[in-house]
Amino acid sequence: MARRGWWRFASRVVPFTMRDGMGAAAARGPLFMTKSGPISRMKQRRTHFLPYLLALPIILYETIFLVSPIAQGIYGSFTNIQLASNRPTIWVGLANYARMFADAEFWSSLRVTATFTVLVIVVALGAGLLTALLFNRPFRFRPLARALLMIPWAFPEVPVTMIFIWILNPQFGVVNVLARMIPGVTDNPQWLQVPELAMAWVVLIASWKAFPFYSLVILAALQSVSQELYDAAKVDGANTLQLFQNITLPGIATTLELLVVLASIFSFKQFSIVFLMTGGGPVGATETIVMRIYNAAFRFYDYSYAAAMGVAGFLISLTIAIIFITVQARRAREFA
Amino acid sequence: MTSTVSTQLVRYTRARDTVGRTLLYIAIIAVTLVTIFPIYWMLVSTLQPNSYTLHYPPPFFPQEIRFAQFGELFAGHPVANWLKNSFLIALMSMLLCTALTVVGAYTLSSLRWRGRSAFGLFLLVTQMLPEVLVLIPLYIMYSRLDLLNQLPTLSVVDAAFALPICIWILKGVFDSVPPEVLDAALVDGCSELSTAWRIVLPLSTPGLVAVAVVAFFAGWNEYLYASILLGSTELMPASVGLTTLKGLSGVQVEQYMAAGMVFSILPVVFYLSMQRYIISGLTAGAVKG
Repeated sequence: MARRGWWRFASRVVPFTMRDGMGAAAARGPLFMTKSGPISRMKQRRTHFLPYLLALPIILYETIFLVSPIAQGIYGSFTNIQLASNRPTIWVGLANYARMFADAEFWSSLRVTATFTVLVIVVALGAGLLTALLFNRPFRFRPLARALLMIPWAFPEVPVTMIFIWILNPQFGVVNVLARMIPGVTDNPQWLQVPELAMAWVVLIASWKAFPFYSLVILAALQSVSQELYDAAKVDGANTLQLFQNITLPGIATTLELLVVLASIFSFKQFSIVFLMTGGGPVGATETIVMRIYNAAFRFYDYSYAAAMGVAGFLISLTIAIIFITVQARRAREFA
Repeated sequence: MTSTVSTQLVRYTRARDTVGRTLLYIAIIAVTLVTIFPIYWMLVSTLQPNSYTLHYPPPFFPQEIRFAQFGELFAGHPVANWLKNSFLIALMSMLLCTALTVVGAYTLSSLRWRGRSAFGLFLLVTQMLPEVLVLIPLYIMYSRLDLLNQLPTLSVVDAAFALPICIWILKGVFDSVPPEVLDAALVDGCSELSTAWRIVLPLSTPGLVAVAVVAFFAGWNEYLYASILLGSTELMPASVGLTTLKGLSGVQVEQYMAAGMVFSILPVVFYLSMQRYIISGLTAGAVKG
């Protein structure tokens, strides 16, 4: 029931999904499509222009503020944008792209993006899965504990970076107290000045902020796994690990798959945390593609080059979006 | 004989359960503590005079509590003005986004038309675009049209980014209105639009509140666009203002942290109370949290 709406939508996208699940959707019956009933058919004919009329302002709105800037960006990537003066823009063809492909820093930012994204997926989804498994068991104060766990997710990004800048302060930061408990650490490390440490912290902070969301989604999936399967397996003498491997994991596999794609979208988009913690530094160690585009445009006023890299970023996010849609459709088919 | 064996078994199982439960509680407490520690530390650093925090090693528990830093913060810095700007941006973004969301969710949920799935896909893809990609051309467009440095032009962009997820949230809520209710209304002679207005919308009040919350705090929390599209200090919203505090001399740690607390309290309260809806929107309706 919960997935019905999506299913109806996904089944149009991937027509093959339509076949076997038809009965399920028809059971509730989309009101204005009911084949029987003269009222609906009459109504449908009378108002067939209405949906277009209603969708139009939204499509226009999103086109003006999101789609047309992207289109302009694509156009701009083939030109030499002169923002300050009134000089006309010069068509430079593929020059910006040639520069991009020859630019070692561009490739390095792609590597940083991949590292950051993969690490955030592993850490945030790992923490999300772990906490979901813990919180799936009944215990006292569970509602309170769940609410506390969700706080990082609800916190705005700017104050989050404020907290962590303070916690990581090399002189007074509380994290030094904890770090010095590790044998061999006698100095306060320069947490955001060492490339590896800076990357580790950016990943940790982004994961800390994101994992409650994954945890909650996984928890919802865990609760939909049939208890009967567990009972039956226990009667057959399965141990905890076997239960997890053979029942829990297959039961939440599609959800995990969906979350991996969603997490890669979110961490690919991630800007504010990286920008406010490190600005892409030290020496480009945390400069993701999104950061690099920003720096090119607003630190070096190199708009055309930023636009070319923006096209690369757009193609990547479009690819992930298409994967998301495919995974969603397959997941919907499984639940139909 | 058999009874002793089973008694032993029961005793053994119980002991194992007790150990298991204890471990479970320890794990849960550990996870919760680690998770909320940064927030706890922000609270401690806010409430405690900085003579304690600017000391190594800092004490883990507050030694002394004072509230004067909130007054000092508002007196010494234009925080009230920042918050006012944030509020105006968020309010405009909320009104615009909520109005469009009702229309969008209705077309996506209740109406059947060719192109509906394309419309849904369009929204899904716009939701996934990195903000930076749109920012540069938009900045160029705004600077050519002389639209920079205006609160309304910022909030229309914030609304554009919040709109897809808001539509997904409300679509899910509209979907859950029982079809029997709609059938009954139709039989009683309601037209589609008046069914939507008089029946679907009132039944979806919590979803509408969730949409308003998401749209409001999208504007309130937003940093990137605000920092680029608004240059003047007069118009600076709190999200940008907070980041400037760090660089100012004479800003005490507890004021800096107090500013973060003041800014965060509303989004945290509202997001937590609306989390179920927001999660269903973020996953495009795949998951009802």
